[in-house]
Amino acid sequence: MISESISTVTGVQSLQYLYPLIVLGIAGFIILGLGLATSSKKAYAGIAFGALAIAAILILLIPQNASFVLSNSFAYSQFGAYFAILFVISSLFIVLPSLKNISAKGDIFYALLLFVTTGMIVAAFTMNLIVLFISFEAVSIGTYVLAAFHKTRRTLEASTKYFFTGVVSTSFIIFGLAFFYQAAGTFELTSALAVVSKPALLIALLFLTIGFGFKVAIFPMHQWAIDTYYGAENSVSAFLSTGSKLVAFMIMLKIFIVGFSTMGEDVFLLFTLLAIFTMTYGNISALSTTNVKKLFAYSSIAQAGYLILVFSITSYALWSGQNYGLIAVNAVAAAMLYSLVYIFMKGGAFVFLNTLDKENPEFSDISGFARKSPALALSLSIILLALAGIPFTGGFTAKFYMFLYLVDAKLWWLAIIAILNSAISVFYYFRVIMYMYWKPDSGVSLSGSRIASATVIVSAIVVVALFFYFPLFSLLHGFAQGLFGVTG
Amino acid sequence: MIIEYIFAFLVAASIITFFIGSHSRQFARVSSLAVAVAFILYSVYRFYPGYNGGDISSFSLTLSTYTGFYFSLGVNGFTDLLVVLGSIIVLAALFISDRKDDPVYYGLVLLTEVGTFGLLMSTDLFFFYVFWEVVLVPVYFLIGIYGGPRKDSVSLKFFVYTHIGSVFILLSIFTLYSYYYSEYGILTMQNSDLLSTTFFSTIPFFYRVFILSGFLIGFLVKLPTFPIHSWLPDSYQEAPYPVTVILAGALSVMGGYGLFGILYPLYPQIPAFFLWLLIALGIISLIYFSLTAMFQSNLKRMMAYASAGSMGFVSIAFGSGILGTGPNGIIDLAGGMFQIFAHGLIVAFLFSLLYYMKTHAGHDTFYGLGGIYRESPVLATLFLGGLLASLGLPGLAGFVAEFSIIAGSYGILGPLVFLVIFSMIITASYHIWAAQKALYGPYNENLGQIRDLSRSEASAMLLMLISILVIGVFPRIVFPLLTGYLGGIA
Repeated sequence: MISESISTVTGVQSLQYLYPLIVLGIAGFIILGLGLATSSKKAYAGIAFGALAIAAILILLIPQNASFVLSNSFAYSQFGAYFAILFVISSLFIVLPSLKNISAKGDIFYALLLFVTTGMIVAAFTMNLIVLFISFEAVSIGTYVLAAFHKTRRTLEASTKYFFTGVVSTSFIIFGLAFFYQAAGTFELTSALAVVSKPALLIALLFLTIGFGFKVAIFPMHQWAIDTYYGAENSVSAFLSTGSKLVAFMIMLKIFIVGFSTMGEDVFLLFTLLAIFTMTYGNISALSTTNVKKLFAYSSIAQAGYLILVFSITSYALWSGQNYGLIAVNAVAAAMLYSLVYIFMKGGAFVFLNTLDKENPEFSDISGFARKSPALALSLSIILLALAGIPFTGGFTAKFYMFLYLVDAKLWWLAIIAILNSAISVFYYFRVIMYMYWKPDSGVSLSGSRIASATVIVSAIVVVALFFYFPLFSLLHGFAQGLFGVTG
Repeated sequence: MIIEYIFAFLVAASIITFFIGSHSRQFARVSSLAVAVAFILYSVYRFYPGYNGGDISSFSLTLSTYTGFYFSLGVNGFTDLLVVLGSIIVLAALFISDRKDDPVYYGLVLLTEVGTFGLLMSTDLFFFYVFWEVVLVPVYFLIGIYGGPRKDSVSLKFFVYTHIGSVFILLSIFTLYSYYYSEYGILTMQNSDLLSTTFFSTIPFFYRVFILSGFLIGFLVKLPTFPIHSWLPDSYQEAPYPVTVILAGALSVMGGYGLFGILYPLYPQIPAFFLWLLIALGIISLIYFSLTAMFQSNLKRMMAYASAGSMGFVSIAFGSGILGTGPNGIIDLAGGMFQIFAHGLIVAFLFSLLYYMKTHAGHDTFYGLGGIYRESPVLATLFLGGLLASLGLPGLAGFVAEFSIIAGSYGILGPLVFLVIFSMIITASYHIWAAQKALYGPYNENLGQIRDLSRSEASAMLLMLISILVIGVFPRIVFPLLTGYLGGIA
């Protein structure tokens, strides 16, 4: 564990931690105001893009040492900064591709995107459950509206379903928080070290898992995800499946690794079961679908299963009393790497659908795609190979580290289940490749959206580059200590 | 300090090939020729002046010190031989490829070569695994895009089947990596660290078995061995002929390399029941594949089974060679490695000739062929030569391997050796039978006129047959490399 002391920042000094939030918030209101004057989507997107880029730079400029700000409601660490950057990237990712399908009320769309990102960054920089909850709600409410854009009956249904399940999940979270407070006597995750009441903590564990599990789309809480990803506009699906999912995942990392650091056994049993069911369910269901977008949706569930393996590793290391410090930090670093790669894999896959001149293509609609656009077909193939975990893609590295630390924590049997799941997933990813490369041409043409094409190609390049950037992991290992460092 | 340049050249060439359109065929041929020549010269230069084992030409590039990843290359006597074999096979495959102006095809062929060389030359397990996996991708595309009527399911079957095999290798690598850290406090992926017997003996017995089983599953799928072989006949049959040549000649070495290159250094720690399992599976494979081959009506499928059958010798040699001691064990093991090499050459030769038979006569089944010696004597004679080499006729490469294996393993196998001999009789009978039905006898008049091999085709094929003959008559060209490799480990 890290031993460096955590400083407390007070006074005007605290302001620099808020600059990214201030910039995003002001830009959001500017876009809303601009909506009265002009209806140029490009202007809104331009401002949103610029604001997000500036916010990313401002996050990087914050002093790097871990510190508490604003009477502990803000806790800066490199772990948080890393995730804040990830969230900004996931928003940046969809600003331009969404231009194609957002026809009316663009000002609201982009302003909301910025507000949602603000909420995400707040979530990244706090270890207080109340602040986590509020920022999470800010994200949720924003995404309910985002999911409803691109008015068709389908998106409306998608967003309604998302809204109702989301509200239910919120109530679970609130209950969970109440029980957590009763059990631990505090809302500060970092000081939840003494357990007052174990049953209450167990209930909190269950309720919080259900609540946040909805957003991450973990197995029994996943039903909304298929319909919502399927129904929402492609770039919004990309955002729901990356940014919104990762914010819930990051909150889970904070709560279940730091907050529940006294309950290794229970966290292990719960999350191992959930992980096995989630990845198996996602992979098996994806096998029988013939719709490309549904396939990405199911694969998104399967990927959530791999992501939450991190809880199995850390809690098992805790429970079995192994070399907890090293294993847990490594596992969290693996999860951080996975999250980064995941944005580009899933984001690229969903945005790819915008390059087609058809809503919700079936497999047969993309058949012969490689002859129409070799570059795009190659990029999507790389992304699919990454999702399947084939080498020379970041997807391989991400799974490599995750499974490596499973074995390192002596969870061989779980590693076998995970790795066989990953092998099964090859079936459906490769079917898409098969249709693109050697099936007869379909009548569907390209939409000619250059922004979407560029996004897909860039994601493919990034996914490959992440394999070759080997020092990344040791960097993330350093960042991951931030999660534990704040515990002191 | 040479192989990394050759490797880099090959990587660059394979990428360039995708972008040069109509010149791609010429370019691919020239660059693979350059690679083959470079490797042969390199081996003559580095290995003939007394090779005593160990890796030569080590190259290492630090990638991440925290996780202990290095990109390191090196060749020993055994891998050098396989690399030379691979470069010759790819050259042969490109020679018989007739797709004009198809850069994707030629690029994929070269990428397959990159993958094969990468896994053979990597001296760390991370990149060994990376290349082991990645080589499947171009082959998947080659079968999928250019394959026969069942290509959709067969290409997927090929990939998933062998992928599931290889993920077990990954688990074994993880286990080694993790135990090495807990034993020495060092994170490393180097073969020389992870595959050392002193380290391996510190691992608890259960996990030693776990590691060995993981490796074995991966390697036996690739070899292939009896119950886990069903991807092979399908892929060999559906792949276009040049790709079959690569599959049979260059990729079939993967399983054998896994046994002799990865597992062999741990040999004192491999429990006897594993070795007996390997021997049993090898014998069953030999008999089962020979009998299955006998009932095939398609020559390509028959040769696929014949190829799988002769790999049975490799696992027998590995098992009995380690159990055996002294010179017999060495002869046995060297015979097994020799078999990998000889089998690659012979099968690639046979499939190349089958390709000409198919394009010239239009058939590769017994129903369609018959007595083609009358119309194309050169093709028929060369094919007969290939069949004889494949059944293990003395004087040709296959015999040397089979003889050393049987001679070396007799002390271990005892009466079981008769099962091996029995399978060799079946092998001989269906090979002769195939020659009789397809090449000789009354001519199938439905075929009409068949063009014989052109001069350049005939001379290229003759060159391969001559090399099979030369190695069969002077096995000393190859054996010192293999015994040197074994000596370096013992």
